[in-house]
Amino acid sequence: MPGDKSEILQGTLDLMVLKTLDGLGPMHGYGIARRIEQISEEALQINQGTIYASLVRLMQKGWISAAWGTSDNNRKAKFYSITKAGRKQLHTEAQNWERISTVIGRVLRIAERG
Amino acid sequence: MFVWIRTLASRTRTWFSSRHVAHDFDHELQTHLDLLTDENVRRGMAPEEAKRAARVRLGGLTQLKETNRELQGLPFIETFLQDTRYAFRMLGKNPGFTAVAILTLAVGIGANTAIFSVVYAVLLKPLPFTNPDRLFTAFQTNKQQGVAETGCSYLNFEEWRAQNHVFSEMAGNVAHQLTLTGRVEPTVVNTSVVTPEFFALLDVKPIAGRIFFPQDGKQGAPPVVLVSEDLWRGRFGADPKIIGTSINLDQRPFTVIGIIPSAFRTPFFTTKQEVWIPLVQDPVFSTRMPQRGSHLLPVIGRLKPGVSVAQAQAEMDAISGRLAAEFPAENNGWTVRLVPLQKEIVGDVRAALLVLLGAVGLVLLIACANIANLLLARATSRSKEIAVRTALGAGSARIIRQLLSETAVLGLLGGAVGIALAYGGVKALSALVPSSLPQMNPIRVDYFVLGFALLLSAIAGVAFGLVPAMFAAKADIQSSLRESVRTGESRNRRRARSFLAAGEISLALVLLVAAGLLLRSFSKLMSVSPGFDVQYIVKADISLPQFQYSKPQQWTAFSDELLARIQSDPGLQDSAIAVPRPIADLRVTLPFDIVGSPPVSASGAAPRTTSYVSISPGYFHVMSIPLLSGRLFDRRDIMSSPSVTIISKTMAQRNFPNQDPLGKQITFGFPPAPGAMHEIVGIVGDVRDDSLSQDPRPMVYVPYAQAPFWGANVVVKSTLSPSSVAATIRQEVQKIDKDLPVTDVAMMPDLIAASVAQPRFRTFLLGLFGAMALMLAATGVFGVISYSVSRRTNEIGIRVALGASRGTILRMVLRETLVLTFAGLAVGLPCALAGSRLLGNMLFGVSASDPATLAIVAITLAAVAALAGYVPARRAMLVDPMVALRHE
Repeated sequence: MPGDKSEILQGTLDLMVLKTLDGLGPMHGYGIARRIEQISEEALQINQGTIYASLVRLMQKGWISAAWGTSDNNRKAKFYSITKAGRKQLHTEAQNWERISTVIGRVLRIAERG
Repeated sequence: MFVWIRTLASRTRTWFSSRHVAHDFDHELQTHLDLLTDENVRRGMAPEEAKRAARVRLGGLTQLKETNRELQGLPFIETFLQDTRYAFRMLGKNPGFTAVAILTLAVGIGANTAIFSVVYAVLLKPLPFTNPDRLFTAFQTNKQQGVAETGCSYLNFEEWRAQNHVFSEMAGNVAHQLTLTGRVEPTVVNTSVVTPEFFALLDVKPIAGRIFFPQDGKQGAPPVVLVSEDLWRGRFGADPKIIGTSINLDQRPFTVIGIIPSAFRTPFFTTKQEVWIPLVQDPVFSTRMPQRGSHLLPVIGRLKPGVSVAQAQAEMDAISGRLAAEFPAENNGWTVRLVPLQKEIVGDVRAALLVLLGAVGLVLLIACANIANLLLARATSRSKEIAVRTALGAGSARIIRQLLSETAVLGLLGGAVGIALAYGGVKALSALVPSSLPQMNPIRVDYFVLGFALLLSAIAGVAFGLVPAMFAAKADIQSSLRESVRTGESRNRRRARSFLAAGEISLALVLLVAAGLLLRSFSKLMSVSPGFDVQYIVKADISLPQFQYSKPQQWTAFSDELLARIQSDPGLQDSAIAVPRPIADLRVTLPFDIVGSPPVSASGAAPRTTSYVSISPGYFHVMSIPLLSGRLFDRRDIMSSPSVTIISKTMAQRNFPNQDPLGKQITFGFPPAPGAMHEIVGIVGDVRDDSLSQDPRPMVYVPYAQAPFWGANVVVKSTLSPSSVAATIRQEVQKIDKDLPVTDVAMMPDLIAASVAQPRFRTFLLGLFGAMALMLAATGVFGVISYSVSRRTNEIGIRVALGASRGTILRMVLRETLVLTFAGLAVGLPCALAGSRLLGNMLFGVSASDPATLAIVAITLAAVAALAGYVPARRAMLVDPMVALRHE
């Protein structure tokens, strides 16, 4: 449902940021935000600023690191990349996520049938 | 998972470089905006439009920055710092209020800290020995003879030490005085006589040389001595070569083997010990080492690790049983009692110190109530500020936090000033503390005491801040904003203020009743007659060296000559000898039997005991102790004539009810003649020989000529100055023997004063706290009433304008005061009664619920409170209605 702003749980956003960085390598905040919007086929119209809270949290936990660099069109930007600890965390979280979503999916199907 | 630690570390790091981080983030957001704008332009927007859309897409910049700052830093600390800064500003704006609050609190915390430093040093701080909780004293007790605590004989001590498996070490320790001569002027030194294990047991390290080794305690070992650091510095000029040299004690050479540090305090003895010698070398006590029946040595022991007190007690019981079976004559009925060393040292000081601590705690409580009251008053004037804050979105938790920060700052400032006061207070206290107070640890403000003071100020800050803060947070914004600040004060708040002031009166009553009871006890104590004339009596002690004066004949010869010489001096005819003298540290108590009545020991009841004093014939005359019947001692009572005794009135009444004791025979005496027969030849008045607070004990007097000691305590009645009396005595003593020192010259009134030093100390302090409480409570009442008057200026003006007389206004305000006061008194009275019961045996001649004391204290308190209320009442009375009505 485009236009409908989905409420994204904090943890979910963090997970998506991690996944993005894991898949595409070092990116700046704008890039990450764009990427998440594209992947979700614009279903997640986030306030792009929200991404920064997520980035700070992940930095503090040591799951991502940051360095200043230059963007494609020659602008100074902060580039984030996933750390080893971050990968490990992503792995665990992703598994958890899948298990939960399977369970929830099943519950919802049962509910529909009943 | 240490993710939270990493998070905290990261937050702390960024918090310290917050400016840099913020700048970084600004830059990052700018890049983001630029990139978004670029993209929008690519999609075909106009540049301005593209910029606007980018802003929308990113979200509110300020909000983002705010979120980022909160995430990056330590928000809790930040608000705390902010609150603290604000608190300082608020306190600075009201210098009057701030000064009063800080001073009040400082006095409370200072007094508490000072008293706590004493309590800590005496009661709480572990003794300054290694593993002090393993140290115990072992006393002998005898239920049949009514002896609670006494030392044991050396022979028994050896058995204890050899047979027990529960103590890693045991040592005996007894003290007296010896005469130091040789390299220095003759002087008497406090001497601890110990078994050689003593220092090893307490783990004392000498400054130089060594401590005693076991061979130093063997018969025939060369005499050795340990000297204290103070003696070494004071008497021997800190001679670095003192070790190995020889000093004379009672005219006998001892080799110095070590120096004991000044900080070391010998357990049990409140006076500072100056030299230590092995028991086997002591001129007095070594002669008693072979006597199994003596009760010479108080013993301390160090419990082995893992051994419980019960196990140790069981083992010592078994050993006493064996000793009683083996040596029934000396050991029958005697058992061993183990007491933790610290408990033994502290003794009965504990109760008095705890009462003082409780009292000073009440003072602080009153101080807090006072400040809470001030804060409540101020909170009323600040209600508008609080309301504005609330209206702007501050939650009540946030408001409470801010107000509490203010009071916490106030508390800590008060604490800081209080600690400064405490340093002075501790100095004053140390000078006041009676020398009989056992001080194993020095009394000072150390880290522990400082910690206590800080904790106290923090608690105080919250205690007096919480109520006003809660009131402020609960306030109704609408009415606060609308209400004119000058007029209304919420009813609840006013009730709280009155409640606090009444509470102060209650607490003050508790303290003042206790102080009043102690004061009355003390004045009763001081008006007790000791049974002898105190005025103009000077006493001096002379102890005879054992080696020169070893035979009783020499003692009598010396004392006869001395007395004759002193009495030949025109001002000193009234002089006599008494051992022990009255109000002495030492008391001789002996069991006795009456010839012709069955011995008490046979019936199994507690034996009769009596105090024992050996005197020269003129003693009763010098001391003005009245002869009630019979005769006094005279020159006929000498060693070769029949033994005689004079008994005290109490002795006569208790043991010879409805009979004439004159001519009767009683048996008492020291070993080797414990059953020596004495004929009663006279009865004299009672004497409080122990202390003023103790009822006179039964006493027997014997002629010095028949029962000489190895020393002489001279008592002189003279109108000459004590120093000239002392000089004469010294002169005469030195004419007989130039190596004899005269010590402890003192006037009897001073000795009496010293004997009541502890009651005086606690009475003085509690009186001081009572006065502080009275003052604080008066300030509290004054504050409440004058505030209420200033609030009601308007109302009073209207009343006067409508025709109320000045008298009516005065009565109205005074009534408010009195209601408050009597409510406080009513609540305080039962508390005071309960509190004074804690004073227990600190009271003398006054009951804990003494109605006179209660009445006087209550009236005083009411009068002071009324006075405190009268001042603002007068101001209210003089209000000019015109001014008052224009007041708004």
